[in-house]
Amino acid sequence: MDRRALALGALAAGLVILASAAGSGWFQWFDTALAGYLFGVVFFAFATVYRYTVWLRRPPTAKLHARGWEALWHRGDRGRNTGSLLGLIVRNLFLQDFIWKRSKSRWLAHQTLFWGCMLAVAVTFPLTLGWIHFTSVGQSARTYETSFFTIPVLEFDVGGVIAWFFFHALDISAVLVLIGVFIFLFRRLKEPGAVATTRANDHLALAGLFAVSVTGLMLTVSHQFLAGQYYNFINVLHALTVMIGLAYIPFGKLFHIFQRPANLGVKFYKRAADEGEPQICTECGEGFASALQVGDLKDILPELGFDYGSDDGNWQDVCPGCRRRLLARSQSLRVGGFG
Amino acid sequence: MARAPLTEAELIETYGPHLNREPKGGWDRDIQIDKVVDTHCCFCGQQCGIKLKVADNAVVGFEPWYDFPFNEGKLCPKGVKRYLQGSHPDRLLEPLQRTDAGFEPTEWDPALERVVDEIHRIQAAYGKDAFSVISGSSLTTEKTYLMGKFARMAVGTANIDYNGRLCMVSAAGANKKALGMDRASNSWADIPLAEVVFVAGANIAECAPITTDYIWRARDNGAKLIMADPRVTPLARTADCFLGLRPGTDSALMGAILNEMISRDLLDHDFIAEHTIGFEEAAAAVAEMTPKAAQEITGVPASRIEQAAELWGRPKTGVLLHARGIEHHSKGVQNVLSCINIGLAAGRYGKPGCGVMTITGQANGQGGREQGQKADQLPGARDIGNPEHRAVVAERWGCSPEDIPQAGLSYQEQFQAILDGDIKGMLLICTNPMVALPDTNMVKAALEKLEFFVVIDFFLSETAHHADLVLPGSLHEEDEGVVTTAEGRCVKINAAVTPPGNAKRDWEIILELANRLGAQRYFPYEGPEDIFEEIRKVSAGGMADYAGMTWDRITAEHGLFWPCPTEDHPGTPRLYEGGKFAHPDGKARFIPVTYQPAAEQVDVDYPLLLTTGRVISQFLSGTQTRRIGPLVDQYPEPLVEMHPRLAERHGITTGDLVRVRSRRGEMTAPAQVVETIRPDTVFVPYHWANGQQANLLTNPVLDPGSKIPEYKVCAVQIERVTTGGTPQDARDTRLTTG
Amino acid sequence: MAAIEDFFDHPDAIGIGDKVYVMDPSRCIGCNACVQACTECDTHKGNSMMHLEEVDRASSTQTAPMVCMHCDDPTCAEVCPADAIKKTEDGVVQSAEKSRCIGCSNCVIACPFGVPEYYEEFDMMMKCDMCYDRTSVGSEPMCTSVCPSQALWYGTIEEFHATRPGTLSNEFQFGNRLVTTRVHTVVHEPGPLDVLLGRSFEPSVVSDPFGFDEIGLPEVVG
Repeated sequence: MDRRALALGALAAGLVILASAAGSGWFQWFDTALAGYLFGVVFFAFATVYRYTVWLRRPPTAKLHARGWEALWHRGDRGRNTGSLLGLIVRNLFLQDFIWKRSKSRWLAHQTLFWGCMLAVAVTFPLTLGWIHFTSVGQSARTYETSFFTIPVLEFDVGGVIAWFFFHALDISAVLVLIGVFIFLFRRLKEPGAVATTRANDHLALAGLFAVSVTGLMLTVSHQFLAGQYYNFINVLHALTVMIGLAYIPFGKLFHIFQRPANLGVKFYKRAADEGEPQICTECGEGFASALQVGDLKDILPELGFDYGSDDGNWQDVCPGCRRRLLARSQSLRVGGFG
Repeated sequence: MARAPLTEAELIETYGPHLNREPKGGWDRDIQIDKVVDTHCCFCGQQCGIKLKVADNAVVGFEPWYDFPFNEGKLCPKGVKRYLQGSHPDRLLEPLQRTDAGFEPTEWDPALERVVDEIHRIQAAYGKDAFSVISGSSLTTEKTYLMGKFARMAVGTANIDYNGRLCMVSAAGANKKALGMDRASNSWADIPLAEVVFVAGANIAECAPITTDYIWRARDNGAKLIMADPRVTPLARTADCFLGLRPGTDSALMGAILNEMISRDLLDHDFIAEHTIGFEEAAAAVAEMTPKAAQEITGVPASRIEQAAELWGRPKTGVLLHARGIEHHSKGVQNVLSCINIGLAAGRYGKPGCGVMTITGQANGQGGREQGQKADQLPGARDIGNPEHRAVVAERWGCSPEDIPQAGLSYQEQFQAILDGDIKGMLLICTNPMVALPDTNMVKAALEKLEFFVVIDFFLSETAHHADLVLPGSLHEEDEGVVTTAEGRCVKINAAVTPPGNAKRDWEIILELANRLGAQRYFPYEGPEDIFEEIRKVSAGGMADYAGMTWDRITAEHGLFWPCPTEDHPGTPRLYEGGKFAHPDGKARFIPVTYQPAAEQVDVDYPLLLTTGRVISQFLSGTQTRRIGPLVDQYPEPLVEMHPRLAERHGITTGDLVRVRSRRGEMTAPAQVVETIRPDTVFVPYHWANGQQANLLTNPVLDPGSKIPEYKVCAVQIERVTTGGTPQDARDTRLTTG
Repeated sequence: MAAIEDFFDHPDAIGIGDKVYVMDPSRCIGCNACVQACTECDTHKGNSMMHLEEVDRASSTQTAPMVCMHCDDPTCAEVCPADAIKKTEDGVVQSAEKSRCIGCSNCVIACPFGVPEYYEEFDMMMKCDMCYDRTSVGSEPMCTSVCPSQALWYGTIEEFHATRPGTLSNEFQFGNRLVTTRVHTVVHEPGPLDVLLGRSFEPSVVSDPFGFDEIGLPEVVG
């Protein structure tokens, strides 16, 4: 185990507990029914930070991480970079236009999943941590007061739009997630390209999202239409799916949620690299890639145990096209020399 | 009269070539494959098996057909992307008639009525033969049979010919003369068994790509490869003996090899004595053609000619493959005969691992000429001038021999006849003479002189630009029937989809016309299978005997080789077994060949030789392949290939625009400066149109026997026009972007 | 660090088994059938994962095809900052996982064979996965299926030696580094292919295809 990662993970877990305590008036407003969820969130924080730290320590990741920040904060470019960072966050992280270009239906599925999950997180995490609580005002129980970090911020009528949203936000998120899950599932069953690459384990994340959403919706069904029948059982089932889901995220396919922002670092790194010197191929004399990135790779590769050096120069200084052509030539030599 | 109604640019704007790059609905489509159809590629004479994926009545992709024995799944890029010709924006969907304002859609009924009226009018005014029919060899055998019968029995004209005339007829003529039969002597299965493979005038890698593997299989067994070509083609690069001859000197090269085989006594004396006649005369004809003498003519070092004679003559087995490189000449038949002579001298017939084969160029080049659309032949590869043959066909058609016209004019001769005023009307299907015939300027003048010109095609070809009426016919995948491949293997084409819009299957159009011309009784067919059944009966007893074939047998047995006279006959992959040739006496003939120079020689004004040919990504006149984006990307326009020493003299570097001029015309294209071509020769591929035709330059002189034009050699001059950019490979620049 | 999914077998795969991919560039005729066929794959529609280029058209018609060689210890996967490149149990190095690839191009630059490519429009790398959708269920890669010269070949080692001469090698020397791969190439004598020696290659036939050394240079007129 990576000690540093363990320590940082523990720190993150501690901070979550502290934040919960602070936000709920030292647990005065903490809903004990949500204790299981709190445990899930605390573990989730620990595991995510742990895994992220381990990931960042790999030489190529560490290099990219350093280069990304370096490029972003590069003196003289900060203004420009901050501007483009905002644009990138919107386009890349929220609108996900790169998925749109890969496939329209996949983009639609991913967007519904993404926004469904975001909404669910925005609602449930503050509730679970006790940051938000509701109290009824007066005797009629017609008006509720919302407190955030124990400070009252909003009063609303139970029959009003705000109330409807508070009570049904998770239903909305569940429906969004389910739409995404079904589009993905349909693609994997019908779309030849998706069929070709789908493996059984690709369904793991979808199955988890499906379970959380369906059990959540069943709570509403039980409450609204079945007069609370089976509510407790479903409640336990839902909590279980959520906790398993939270534990799965840092170690499964969905960890890409935390990896994807590194793509923004890549953008700045590549921009800085492109503005610098190009790497000149030692064979054809043409520029390929950037000297910065080739240099970085020549630093990283020996760390990984890959030595492409030789008396005739480093193979990494040859462009990909010349690498391919030289291979063909060297093979021709070994089969009698015709060319 | 048949002048194009609009400018070329305006016609291209509407009718293409536009580039189709993606299957129907685009790449990002969610589709379900409805069925997968076993059929064959629509392009060259190898007729590779292919499975077409069909969704929503459109061909949307392919899958290799591993079980088809000829190619076992292998395909060239044209086969891979062939499906993009379907669901194409340029596809003709309804009959078009020419008006002053361009082409206008019309209905079938008036369109067909007009064709019939014009045939009647022209024949009444100028005689039966003043209306001609030109057909093509990409059609199924059923359709080619139908075209021959339609021309002779419905239109009643002698002038029916086909575009195979521009392809394999020199080989056909020579094989018939020397061996008594017009077919490749062996199936390709004999190639891997050979100890030596001699390829003469065939760019195997680009024009018969799948044959490459057969040659490598022979070489894997230890065979040597000899290649004769003015260019170091991709396969020639690896040859054991490369003979880089000057265009038009093929029979000198082959004569010298025979001469050297005689000097070294590399002859199969028993075979020559028992199975051939005329060896002495043939030997006498090459007595002066020593390797040294041939070096002067061909430009090939004498030592290499000697080496070739040794490599060819010494082993017990060997195959010789030849194609247009030696056949597209005014001495095309002689060139083929000179190959046959070295084949006979080495005893290379009727045995495993032996054979002298022409590589048919067109899809149905073989089947298309043997069942009756050739000007001088009747079905079953019968001679139209032979009274016995005429009587047999007349009896089976239920007419009198006098009802069948005599031999008509060949393809190129018909165009001369238009200019001479002898032909006034023409029906043309499945060929594009504005790209395919030599001397494009002359072709254009001829088309413009026609009083009535009707074209059946699926795209508006450059030739159809000149039509009075264009009838939308069927694509390969919209109809069924059989074709006979380069091997002599008759295979079944299956329909994958139905014709779109108001387009009709070609045979439906022809039957409709035949009925309207009052010839119903000769055309009692419900569909192509009925036509095939008639071909079986009519070809029975003929040379190309299909009597024992049925569609079911052809499908079940992955093709059948003719002759196949009875239903229990296994077909004949290897001809002449036991040295029994097809002449009445069973013997092959050595025909003496004395080298004669090409019709046009270089001189002070036109000091360079031009030779033309194909590239891998395009097919013939490009009507289909110039509309398929990924194929166009691969080789977008013609390049003028030349040696750096020649280029240097003119200050030309790769990419510069170069004008090539001959006595007949000129064309301009970018230069490709390469050491892989003779310094006295330039090469231009011929697939393009609109001023980029290599055939603007070529010489329309014909071989007197086969009537094939001399595409492969003429005299030209070159000149640099402008400096061009260096072509770049987009894939290599992608790396640096982003 | 592996994700949970990585510990699962692929239940629908019967695996590649003892089949090998053999690339013999010397037989390549540059026809592009492999490239065109590769674009037909449903998983990377319209894009070819196959490389094919002229070695030096000015002097030769030689062409160089290149597929992913599927290294035993893939450089691309090691330099990937996002753990996006995985190797299957049967030795196939997969293309970048779509959800992980962050488009940095490290693999594109570092691969000793010059195989991966960055696609700007999708903001990710894609490369040959030996048609895993086909090969893992017992079929053949598309490029070897169509290759007219069988420069690209697929089958068992026994089948290869039963039909073709030469020795198979899957060792490639790049300076100090020896790379072993799942894909083989053909050599006459056993031993690793020293790729850097390609620099000293002088084509023997092409240097004098027309025999000018013997008959002298023809006079060029015109």
